[in-house]
Amino acid sequence: MSTTDTQLSRRDFMVRSMATGSGLALGIGFTHSVIPGAHAATATAEAFTPSIWFTMMPNGHTSIHVVKSEMGQHIGTALAQIVADELEVNWQDVTINYPEGSAENFAVYGLAYTVNSGSVTTEFDRLSRSGAAGRIALVEAGAALLGTNVEDAVAANSRVTDSVSGRSLSYSEILTQTTIERRFSYPDDFRGIPLKNRADYKIIGQSKPAHDIPSKTNGSARYGIDVHIPNMAYGALVLPRARYGAKALSVDDSQAQSIPGYIQAVTVDDSFGKCTGWVVAIAETFPAAMSAAQALEVEWDPGPHGDVSLEGLLEEYRALQADPEVGAPWVDQGDVDGSLANADELVESEYTTDMVVHATMEPLNATVHQVGDTWHVHTGTQSTSFARMTLTAYLAHFLGKPAEEIKVIVHQRVLGGGFGGKQDYDEILAAAYCSHQVARPVKLIQTRETTFATSFPRTPTLHKLRGSIQGGAFTAMQHDIVCGYMGPRFSVGKAYGSDWLQLDADDGSGRDIDQWSIGGSDHWYTLDNHRVRAINHDQTTWAVQASALRTVSNSYNYFVVESFLDEVAHRLGKDPLELRLSMLTGEGTSRGIPNAGYEPGTGSDYYMDRLWISLPWPSEDSWIPYESATVGGAKRLANVLRVAAGKAGYGKRMPKNHGMGIAVSAAEERQSPTWVAGVAEVAVDPESGEIDLQKLTIAMDMGIAINPVNAVAQIKGAALWGASQVLSERLTVKDGAFEQHNFDTYLPIRLSQVPEIDVEIVESGNHPSGVGEPSSTVVAPAVANAVFNAVGVRMRHMPITADAVKAALKAT
Amino acid sequence: MVALTINGYSYLVDAPPDTPLLWIIREELRLSGTKYGCGIGLCGSCTVHVNGEAVRSCMVQAGDVEGTSITTIEGLHYADNHPVQQAWIEMQVPQCGYCQSGQIMQAAALISANPSPSRDEIVEAMDGNLCRCATYSSIVGAVARAAEIAGSEA
Repeated sequence: MSTTDTQLSRRDFMVRSMATGSGLALGIGFTHSVIPGAHAATATAEAFTPSIWFTMMPNGHTSIHVVKSEMGQHIGTALAQIVADELEVNWQDVTINYPEGSAENFAVYGLAYTVNSGSVTTEFDRLSRSGAAGRIALVEAGAALLGTNVEDAVAANSRVTDSVSGRSLSYSEILTQTTIERRFSYPDDFRGIPLKNRADYKIIGQSKPAHDIPSKTNGSARYGIDVHIPNMAYGALVLPRARYGAKALSVDDSQAQSIPGYIQAVTVDDSFGKCTGWVVAIAETFPAAMSAAQALEVEWDPGPHGDVSLEGLLEEYRALQADPEVGAPWVDQGDVDGSLANADELVESEYTTDMVVHATMEPLNATVHQVGDTWHVHTGTQSTSFARMTLTAYLAHFLGKPAEEIKVIVHQRVLGGGFGGKQDYDEILAAAYCSHQVARPVKLIQTRETTFATSFPRTPTLHKLRGSIQGGAFTAMQHDIVCGYMGPRFSVGKAYGSDWLQLDADDGSGRDIDQWSIGGSDHWYTLDNHRVRAINHDQTTWAVQASALRTVSNSYNYFVVESFLDEVAHRLGKDPLELRLSMLTGEGTSRGIPNAGYEPGTGSDYYMDRLWISLPWPSEDSWIPYESATVGGAKRLANVLRVAAGKAGYGKRMPKNHGMGIAVSAAEERQSPTWVAGVAEVAVDPESGEIDLQKLTIAMDMGIAINPVNAVAQIKGAALWGASQVLSERLTVKDGAFEQHNFDTYLPIRLSQVPEIDVEIVESGNHPSGVGEPSSTVVAPAVANAVFNAVGVRMRHMPITADAVKAALKAT
Repeated sequence: MVALTINGYSYLVDAPPDTPLLWIIREELRLSGTKYGCGIGLCGSCTVHVNGEAVRSCMVQAGDVEGTSITTIEGLHYADNHPVQQAWIEMQVPQCGYCQSGQIMQAAALISANPSPSRDEIVEAMDGNLCRCATYSSIVGAVARAAEIAGSEA
C-alpha cells in the first residue's frame, strides 16, 4: 500500500513520529495552490508541508486540529468524534485546538471557511480516513513490537492487542518504544483505506458533551470582544447615513477634545471600497470613545446610494421582471412556454420577502496591532483565510507595499454567533487602519446600533410564479426571481482567483447567475417542465450590501416554492401532502446520484453539469464528496415528509381558526442536501390577525447524526430562527440607511414566543450532511400554509405580520 | 473614582461615576464573562447580581452601585459549580454561548428567589434574555433542573 518512492511526494499522506518518544502527526499533502492566484497575496512556499489534522502525544493524548469556526454548532467536537472513532482512541484522551490563520497554516490546511452547513459534509470522509490511517500505522507498529502478525493485531481504546496471545500495548507505549513512518499514496492509497461499518461506530452517534460548553457556563470562553492587548486604545464608529458609498468630507473634533481620554478622530481609508465614510473616534476607554463619537461633527457626501429605499427597489424589481430579455435561466427543463400556453388553468402569484439580518449577540469587533512586520488580528470570524487575505490586500493598498512583504496573522476567537454574518472584514480593516494611524493596538467595538447600521442583510426579493394545470395535473412551473446577488459583492475574492458568479448561463449567453442568491428554487419535485429565471438587481447588492444569512437563498426560495405548491394543490382540489408525495418520486433529475464516489458528476447529469460550484474551494485536494449526500434523492424527502406528517397528526380535525401546514426542503445546496420536512400548527386570531405558532414538528434525514443531542439542539435552534423570520424579523431601508438599529425595533424571537417543538431524526445511514441551518427553511412556508388552512388567506410576503393577516382577512 | 465590591473583592476604579457598570466590569476589571449585547437593557447579555438581584449592568451607572455587593458570572460559585452551571452543562444548553452568562445569572437569581419555579414563572423570568441561537427550549428545562439540583444540595 505504501509508495516505493523515497522522495515524499507532495500528494503523499504521511503518518510519522519524528523520533522515539515524540508525537504522531498525521497529514495530507495540501499546497498553497488550493486557491489559484493566492501566491501573490500570501507568498507561501512551494515546499511540501503536510497538513496536520491531529497530533498524538507520546502519552497518548490526542489533539484534533480544527480549522472550522466555533460559532455555536460545536463543530470541533463533531469533527473530533469522526477522527477518534476510526483512530480507536479513548474519547477522554481527545482534546481540540484551533490553528491560527496564517499564511503558513493556509499552506498546510487549505481554506479555513465555515459556511453552508458544510463542515461535516465536506470533512467526514477525509477525517475518517485520516483517523483510520493513524490506526493502521499504530497497529502495524504495535504488531511489530508484539512480534505478531498485523492481521492478528487489533486496535481499541488506545491499545493494540494481539488477538492470539492477548498481549497488548497502549498507543503511548508504542510511541515511546518505536518510530513510525508510514506512507499512503494520495489519492489512491488514501482513498482506498477501508472505513468502519456504521454498526461498528463507538464514538460517532454518541452524544458526547461538547468540548466548548464548560467555558461557556463560567465566563471563561474568550470571544473577539474580550481581547485585551497592553496599551490598546478603543475605537467607536461614526457613520454616514448611507449604508454604502458615502464619503467623509470633513471632521470637526473640537467638541470631542474636552472628553477625558479622547485621542483623535480617524477617517478610514475607504478607497478600497470597504468601510465607506467610516470615521472612528479613538480614546483610552470605550465609554470615552462612544462619547467622542457622539461629539464629532462629520460632513459626508452621501454617494450614489443615498436615496435608496425599499419601495423604490421593489418598483425596479417589477420593471426588470416584466422584461423577458433580462436575467438567465438557472433551471430550464422541458417545454415550459408550451405548457403554460396550453394550460387549462394558470396559477399566478407574486411573492416578496423583506431583508433580515444576522444580529449576532456578539456585536462586530476587531482588535489589531502591529508587532515588527507582522499584523496581528484578534477576532471571531467565519474565515480566518479570507480575513487574512482581505487585510493583506488592504494593507498593501494603503501602505503602498507589495502584498508579499505584508504578514498577517488572524488569531481566531470563539464567535458569539455567526449565521453568515461574520464573513465580512470591515472592522478588521478599520481597526488596522486606526492602529496604523495612532501607532498603538486598537480595539474597535461596534455598538449594537452601528452593528445594525453596517450589517450585511439578506437581499429583498421579488418572485413571479406561473403554474400550468392541464387535464387536472400540475404540468409546468415558471419561477422568476429578482434580488440583489451577493456574489459580486464578494468580488474581493477575485483577487484570489475566485469567482462567486457562474458566468455561463444555461443558454450559453455568458450572463451571470449567482447560485447563492438563487439556490433552493431548484427543488426536488419531479416536474417535466420547470424554469427558474434569475435576475440580478445590481444596485441592491451594493446599496444594502447583500449577503449570506443562515441558509442563504433557501430561506426565501423554499418559502415561495412550498407556498406556491400549496396554492397549486388548492386549485387542483388535492391535499398538499398528497400532491407533494406524488411529485417526490426521485426520478430523473431528482434521483440523486447513487454511489457517485469521489468523481464529479458526469456530463450527462443535469445538475452536476450545470450547477458547478465556483467557490474558491480546494476541490481537487479536498474532493468534497457532495454527491454522496444526494443518494436516494427526492425519495428521502418523501420519507421525512411522511414521518413529520405522521408525528404531527396531519389531517386530524382542527378547531376553528386553527390550521396545520406542511413543507419540505433540501437545503443547503443541490449538491449537499439535508432532507427535512416540517409541520406547523397555528391558531389565528381573526380580529387582530395575530398568529399563535403552537407547535412545530420537524423530521430530518442527515444521513448520520454524529452527535444526536447536539443535532437536535441545532435543529430546534434553526427551526426557531425560521419562526423568527416568518413572524417578526424585518429590516427596511430608507434614504440609503437601515431603519432598525436595536432590539426595540428589530425583533428576534423570545422565550415566551417559543412553540412546542418535536424533532425526529431519521438516520438513513448515508453520507452525513449538515444540521445547523436546514430546518429553518421549512418553517416559513409551513406557517404560511397553516395560516391558509386556518383562515383561508394566502400570505405571499415574508414576514407575515398580524396587520397583513388582518388586512387579508378583511379583503376576503 | 468609583469604589465597587465585585465577587467579594474591593476595587477603586478611575472612571466617571456615570460610566455604565458593564464597561467597568469588562474593560477596566477585565471580568469579560459579562457581555455587551445591546446597551439598552433589552437583551440581558450583561446581567449581573446587585445584592443578589439580577440587573442589566449596561443600564446601571457605576456610581449608583457603590456600597452594594456585585456578583458576575466569574463569582457565581467558587468552583464554577453553581446548580445552574451544573444544569447548563448537563443539558448542554450553550450554543455560541455569548448570551449564556446573562442567562445563567438571570436563572440563578430566579431560583434563589423562587426555589421551585413553574414553567410559566421560568418563562416570565427569562423572557428578557435574548438568545440568537434560540437555545430557549433547553433553557426552560435547565432552569427546572437547576432548581432540582439546588433543592437536593440544600
